[in-house]
Amino acid sequence: MKKIDWEKMSKPIILVGAIIILSVLRPQSFLTANNFANVLWSVSVIGIMTCGTVFVFLAGGIDLSIGTLAGLSAITVVEIIDKMGATNASVIIGIIAALCVGAFAGMVHGLIITRFNIPAFLVTFAAQSVYLGLSMVITNNRIVSAREPALFTSIGSMKILGFPLPIYLMIIIALISWFSLSRTTFGRDIYAVGGNPEASEISGVHVSKDIVLCYVFSGLTAAIGGIVLASMTQQGMASTGSGYETQVITAAVIGGVSLLGGVGTVPGCIYGVVIMGLINNGLNLMSVPSTQSGLVQGVVIIIAVAFDALQHQDQSRKKVKRISEQIKGTASS
Amino acid sequence: MSKELLLEANHIYKSFSGIPVLHDVHFDVRRGEVHALMGENGAGKSTLIKIITGIYTKDAGQISWEGKPVEINSYQDCLNLGISCIYQELSVIPPLTVAQNVYLRKEPLRAGLIDYNKMNSMTQQLIDLYDFPLKPTTLVEDLGMGQRQLVEILKGLSNDSKLLIMDEPTSSLSGKEAESLFGIICKLRDQGVSIIYISHRLEEVYRLSDRLTILRDGKNAAVLEKDEIIPKMVIETMIGKEMEEVDDSSKELRSDEGPVCLEVKSLTDSANRFRNISFQVRHGEILGIGGLIGAGRTEIVRAIYGVDKAASGEVLLDDERLDPNPALSISKGIGFVPEDRRKQGFIPLLSTVKNVALTNYDIIKRTGMAIDENDELELSKKAIEAIDIRPADPQKEVGTMSGGNQQKVVLGKWLVRGLKLLIVDEPTAGIDVGAKAEIYSILDQLASDGVAVIVVSSDLQELLRVSHRIIVMRKGGIVREFKDETVTQAKILAAMQGVEEGEKR
Repeated sequence: MKKIDWEKMSKPIILVGAIIILSVLRPQSFLTANNFANVLWSVSVIGIMTCGTVFVFLAGGIDLSIGTLAGLSAITVVEIIDKMGATNASVIIGIIAALCVGAFAGMVHGLIITRFNIPAFLVTFAAQSVYLGLSMVITNNRIVSAREPALFTSIGSMKILGFPLPIYLMIIIALISWFSLSRTTFGRDIYAVGGNPEASEISGVHVSKDIVLCYVFSGLTAAIGGIVLASMTQQGMASTGSGYETQVITAAVIGGVSLLGGVGTVPGCIYGVVIMGLINNGLNLMSVPSTQSGLVQGVVIIIAVAFDALQHQDQSRKKVKRISEQIKGTASS
Repeated sequence: MSKELLLEANHIYKSFSGIPVLHDVHFDVRRGEVHALMGENGAGKSTLIKIITGIYTKDAGQISWEGKPVEINSYQDCLNLGISCIYQELSVIPPLTVAQNVYLRKEPLRAGLIDYNKMNSMTQQLIDLYDFPLKPTTLVEDLGMGQRQLVEILKGLSNDSKLLIMDEPTSSLSGKEAESLFGIICKLRDQGVSIIYISHRLEEVYRLSDRLTILRDGKNAAVLEKDEIIPKMVIETMIGKEMEEVDDSSKELRSDEGPVCLEVKSLTDSANRFRNISFQVRHGEILGIGGLIGAGRTEIVRAIYGVDKAASGEVLLDDERLDPNPALSISKGIGFVPEDRRKQGFIPLLSTVKNVALTNYDIIKRTGMAIDENDELELSKKAIEAIDIRPADPQKEVGTMSGGNQQKVVLGKWLVRGLKLLIVDEPTAGIDVGAKAEIYSILDQLASDGVAVIVVSSDLQELLRVSHRIIVMRKGGIVREFKDETVTQAKILAAMQGVEEGEKR
């Protein structure tokens, strides 16, 4: 009999386990199509943003600006709709403008990081404040509401075959990311850059250009996330999207993405996103008061990540052993 | 200098997994002498040092310190005796001051807190004693490499060291810095400190050493007093005179008649690591480049391939002028196997398939934007077959393979595409004999298929084995070209060292 590959199996096991536990605990409310749609809907924005930011993680970087950048994009779109009198044309222009804001910001991050060789952590951490500040200045720290037109509000609420549109958006973006990471030369290059930038450069990979593109894509999905959030809540304010970067990093790490670069997949990210949705949903259904849910959520996430790390540790121990044997071998030659 | 022995190692034996590395080696150091330890790569120098410093345990033998037998089982033991080792890669911490580095982990305390005044004055005392050009309060990051080395030495001296071991201390120093280090070494010797000096640079050794021990193949080849040290003889002893006539220590070079593939015209580096380099390589020719570490060999081939930019000069491939960068070089048919396999050669977390594919996406089939994964796999299988990687598992992560197999992947990815020129830098460093032989035969095969090959190597035997023609570099320039003649390891080594044949010291 073939030995079970526990590392590969752990994710489906945890996922099925979580579903079984919740089904047993809350059979009436959990096991409904409506609730499943709800779980996915609640994490769709995180999912959209994770699928973009994973490029940055894989290339060995980090993007802490995506939360407030989503906020800035949300404000861009609602302000334009507001100023242009809530016409359908204003929606199109607003969305395009918000996407441009996201992509441009990403490009700036990437250029600063690669040209000046500054750690991504610092650049995007500073950018986080810049976007929050910019949003506050633009809105004068007020809430800009966008209840009209229907073309805009339907982005967050319209249902197709019983599922809200943001879930389809998440799936489409996940497919695009998954395809480009696993089947195009650009994606292959990203894994190489994250795994060993020097060797990649020597292999003819345009390392800096690829890194910039990763940040552009990350900024772009942050903008999409911001637009969807604004539509869902029918408003935009400076704090829209704040804190999403932590959720995205958590989802990615639960999904097996290494923050050191070179390791991770889009299906893994989606798994991480769904697990986070299930945790939140479960806490909700079990009526854990919101004062406690943050605490429980944090603990559950630590357990999930520690479980994952434990398995990798086992692997890396084996690797260390192998390498040390190799070194001995070299010393003897 | 007294003749009193400070350290004495007798009948030292050591083997790794059954292969003897040291065989009945004797080594001793007198009080207040500079004793050079020499030998080719793999002669056993570093193993001997690691036994003396307690990093390796000897299989058999006896070590005495100041006349008494001692057991050195850890680096701490060796520090306690008064032996300090100054490694090639410095262990000083840049953001700390000189004094903080010197007294790291043995800081003088007052009321449980570090007494910085005392620490600085103690450091100043040491500096005065040996007259080093340093100040206790300077940050190490503001110092040049040479001064950092002095901090490292000071650190050793602060342990009351009677014996300093210096392993290639000048490898990262400028000429001026090295000069001042030599002055300090002489000063230390005059104060009664003994120094074991390991270097590949013969000129330094001749200048500094009071005595010289030469190891060859893990055995004592000679122990020479100062007046017995004659450069030509030292080289011959290192290589082994009796090997002089043997096939692999000399070779009849040939001259290839093929059309010129690569022409380099007065290539000069912006950091002056090489200057005014001109040479040609013909199709079907294997050109060997020899020289000491730091002679500029690696820098030149990196500039030709385009990893680094040269300040001036021209690179022509088949008469076409290139402004090289790696992507362009690859598309023009140049392959490159870099010096440091682990750091520059491959992506450890990726499989052979993806490592091979990385430089070959231009020849892998696609449907639209999607890579044809079958074709990708086929290509890697071709590479595995071309270079015989065992076990032939294309999905295995390259990081988990043996050094020999890793190098085969790095080389193999070039064999699946049409090459005009292949540049290999230290192609067989740290890999086993079997894999070495296979790599040589692949290079031979490539040349007979009309590919021009450049081999940079520090291994003289290798240089002789593969090259059709050899150029030797020294201090950033080409000093000698061997072609159409019988060349021996001794001749190459002499050129590398800047020693002309027959010259006596």
